[in-house]
Amino acid sequence: MSELSNRSKDIGEFVPMPDDDMIVCRCEEVTKGEIRKAVHEGLWTIAEIRRYLRCGMGLCQGQTCAKLVKGIVARELKCSPALLEPATSRAPMRPTEMHVFADETEETDL
Amino acid sequence: MMTSDVIIIGAGIIGNACAYYLAKKGYKVTVLEKSDIIGNGGSSRNGGGVRQSGRDPRELPLAMYGIENLWPNLSEELGYDVEYHKKGNLRLGKTEAHLKTLKKLADSASACGLDVRMIDGDEVRQINPYLSKEVIGASWCPTDGHANPLKATLAYYMAARRLGATFITGEDVKCIKKIRGKARQVITQTDTYEGDYIVLAAGMASRAIAGTVGIDIPMVQKLIEALVTEAEPKMFEQMLGTAEADFYGHQTDHGSFVIGGSTGFELYKKDNGTPMNYSDTVPCICRGIIRYIPMLKDAKIVRAWAGWSDNMKDGVPVIDTVSEVPGLVLACGFTGHGFGIAPGVGTVVSQLIAGEEPVCDISGLKYDRFYAKDIKTA
Amino acid sequence: MKIERFDLIIVGAGPSGLSAAIEAAKRGMKVVVFDENARPGGQLFKQIHKFFGSKEHKAKIRGFHIGEQLLQEARDAGVKVELNATVVGLYQDREVVVRMGEEVHHFKGDAVIIATGASENMVLFDGWNLPGVMGAGAAQTLMNLYGVKPGEKVLMLGSGNVGLVVSFQLLQAGCDVVALVDAAPKIGGYGVHAAKVARTGVPFYLSHTIKKVEGTDHVTGVTIAQVDNHFQFIEGTEKHFDVDTVCVAVGLSPMSQLLKMAGCEMEDNPKRGGQVPIIDDYGKTSVPGIFSAGDVSGIEEASSAMIEGRMAGVAAAEYLGFMTADEKKTELDKLSTSLESLRQGMFAPKNRGKNITETEEGIPISTNLLSKGFVADDEIERYPGVIHKAGIHPVIECTQNIPCNPCQDACNQGCISIGDNITALPISVKDSKCINCGMCVASCPGQAIFLVDEDTGDGKASITLPYEFLPLPEVGAKGKALSRKGEPVCDAEVVKVRSSKAFDNTSLLTISVPKEYAMKARFFKAE
Repeated sequence: MSELSNRSKDIGEFVPMPDDDMIVCRCEEVTKGEIRKAVHEGLWTIAEIRRYLRCGMGLCQGQTCAKLVKGIVARELKCSPALLEPATSRAPMRPTEMHVFADETEETDL
Repeated sequence: MMTSDVIIIGAGIIGNACAYYLAKKGYKVTVLEKSDIIGNGGSSRNGGGVRQSGRDPRELPLAMYGIENLWPNLSEELGYDVEYHKKGNLRLGKTEAHLKTLKKLADSASACGLDVRMIDGDEVRQINPYLSKEVIGASWCPTDGHANPLKATLAYYMAARRLGATFITGEDVKCIKKIRGKARQVITQTDTYEGDYIVLAAGMASRAIAGTVGIDIPMVQKLIEALVTEAEPKMFEQMLGTAEADFYGHQTDHGSFVIGGSTGFELYKKDNGTPMNYSDTVPCICRGIIRYIPMLKDAKIVRAWAGWSDNMKDGVPVIDTVSEVPGLVLACGFTGHGFGIAPGVGTVVSQLIAGEEPVCDISGLKYDRFYAKDIKTA
Repeated sequence: MKIERFDLIIVGAGPSGLSAAIEAAKRGMKVVVFDENARPGGQLFKQIHKFFGSKEHKAKIRGFHIGEQLLQEARDAGVKVELNATVVGLYQDREVVVRMGEEVHHFKGDAVIIATGASENMVLFDGWNLPGVMGAGAAQTLMNLYGVKPGEKVLMLGSGNVGLVVSFQLLQAGCDVVALVDAAPKIGGYGVHAAKVARTGVPFYLSHTIKKVEGTDHVTGVTIAQVDNHFQFIEGTEKHFDVDTVCVAVGLSPMSQLLKMAGCEMEDNPKRGGQVPIIDDYGKTSVPGIFSAGDVSGIEEASSAMIEGRMAGVAAAEYLGFMTADEKKTELDKLSTSLESLRQGMFAPKNRGKNITETEEGIPISTNLLSKGFVADDEIERYPGVIHKAGIHPVIECTQNIPCNPCQDACNQGCISIGDNITALPISVKDSKCINCGMCVASCPGQAIFLVDEDTGDGKASITLPYEFLPLPEVGAKGKALSRKGEPVCDAEVVKVRSSKAFDNTSLLTISVPKEYAMKARFFKAE
């Protein structure tokens, strides 16, 4: 339970801002406005925002935008960014081709 | 203490769909979710199949009802695009034995009135030219399809919230408490919630919670793993599965492929506090896919994940009221294929609570259907 | 599938990973280090500047040389360093899956040390995703690893050590650094790093940030503006620069994903730079057998990372019985003392965010240095390194307490004194005899030492200054002397140029200026 547990808590209306068109997640081309709007639709965790908008789900896996998204969501929720749990870390840490994964039988000479 | 008409335990797609249809009927609904995240279990970890073929006849009516009546308009209904596509399901076979398995499944579904038939390898490749020559036949159900489980789960949540449903995350339900012989209170680690009805839709956690009012639901957990690729050019729109169950999946609107699969050890896995992949599963799935769709060999995998499913003894869920515990409605044990039937489940659960006749036959999904093997039942 | 086994698997061949490997291998452990890059050394190989610290911290040695030393030490100890080896995941039971070539391989370590370092932060401004906007570290990689100039005209955002050091390196690479900008009211990095940039003429804009980067398919310009105490733009303060590159140096974030994946307890700790594992003093995480070291568990300098790595290596060795608890304690105590000495002074982690107005000696900090990057003429006289006397002598413009003392070691004439407390400001000793060897000038990682003779006769003074630019002016070259602010103050002539192996690529330029500029001229620009 935290201050964000009750999803009916009033966080105020979505107010458009001049920089809403700014791209925040380059890989998936998600804008600041889309992120801010999603918060007002009830998506209050980084995981939900990612799953709904795909920000941080592209090739770089949020290496660049994760902190930026967190800051935007926290500001919208008027809470500390530390309250927002970062996304789960998932393998592969770097995008990896299927045929590479498929080939796992050889021994190294280490 | 917060009082509502209905308390729903679990904010997965089942709980969220129940909340939506109940709120739409005018009920005051409170949804309690153990995790801090809405839809954090199987709902956001499944392959997105919206299919009828391959289903047990006992849950087929729910699937067919949903595909005829609910899925086609779901995006409009909820106000969020759930990326539903009704472009068919191919269940692929590479051996005669596979074809036999597929035919048996197809025959039993046909008997229930589903349009599903066996086709040969050439016809398979007319539908999906990317499939390799190794595929010698398939079952084909043209009315099956897929949707985006992440979006659908959150769409039900956002739509229910808009209708006034209360969602509380981080609420770990300890027990259900009867008051004067009726299920009425839900006790969490911090609070007590009260309602005329309690819907239990908490996946694996349902078993322990149901146990607090003396009901046992025979389920075990199974680790299901899946992966997603980078966006690829648009290739095909069908849902794919295989007789060998070495992979299943589809290409999403985004262009990425979401693909699941197994190594055979799914019932014998452990975790480190959060469901995580085994190192050999993604390689195993990749080998599977490449044999069926050689062109995907260079597709880059960007992420893999795992989730626990709630597997019932007989492979179908419990969707039922409980006569010993008036006020309790069970909607759990979906055994890894609950996503596609979630709209139907939400609808019938709202009907059970409203005292209406369910829109489709769920009589095979009763909670008291389990007996020792030497007891023959009808 | 075959699982290959090692006593210790280390992920990351940077300063901490290599240091950990050396300590573990020295105790007889079978150690492998995986790194996704083609070259080992992590950030060390990009660091062409001389490091701070004392002898034990490899002070005054350039970063890439430290990298070479570490690598040699690791090889000598029998460590296998596997390059182009990308760790895909850290699974249960300390299983590490590695992409090598076109295959993946499975390894298990009885212990695993994660030393994956950090990645650069970004900030949002209009145009931030235009080609030409890049991390300062990325610019450094282009220049120092690949020999590619990141651009011609560059604006740097961020005045921490990374922003300052990279600005200097951009100048060295021949780029025009048009401005150094920071939203904070005070420079974040070492004053000496700022001063060596400022004296070349780069203007500092504190309490300013980027409003907009212009361009359609690449950067063509940038507009900055002043911000108020709440970081809101102040109308009418906009300044425009024509640039083709904008470098962003706004901090680093630990790349701790492998640790999180493995189930280590994590915390969001802004003081450590973001999401970090919860560890004990020696890198032990909550998962038995998994350790972490270096930036991945908290952003610090490479010098600290090397000690943390050694600690984790020792901890892992003891965990697996390759040394006794007593031996471990002795080793760790030694390393702790060394680490503690680095974590002293004004820039110590414990002082982050504090408003420090006086040095340990009680001397007011130069406010001009903090806001403009250089110590003003009327401020410089108050520091103990700045003295006046007849004949040649060192003038040490070192005005902040940082843990660093190579200058004291460099002078065998006793002209420079720091004492045992290595954060103390260096004192230019009055009754000593400078022999004009130049070792102090070349040894100072901050390039803050000048040999001054205030009166060489005929109305002139001579100033010997550190010079790390090409082309190297020749004796007789005429030009302008620049002030600490980087403004031309008078005519100057190069009278001596010294390069020597002992100076390690820092050349010593002696210029002759009118004697009234002896304490003002600090850089030379040829005509």
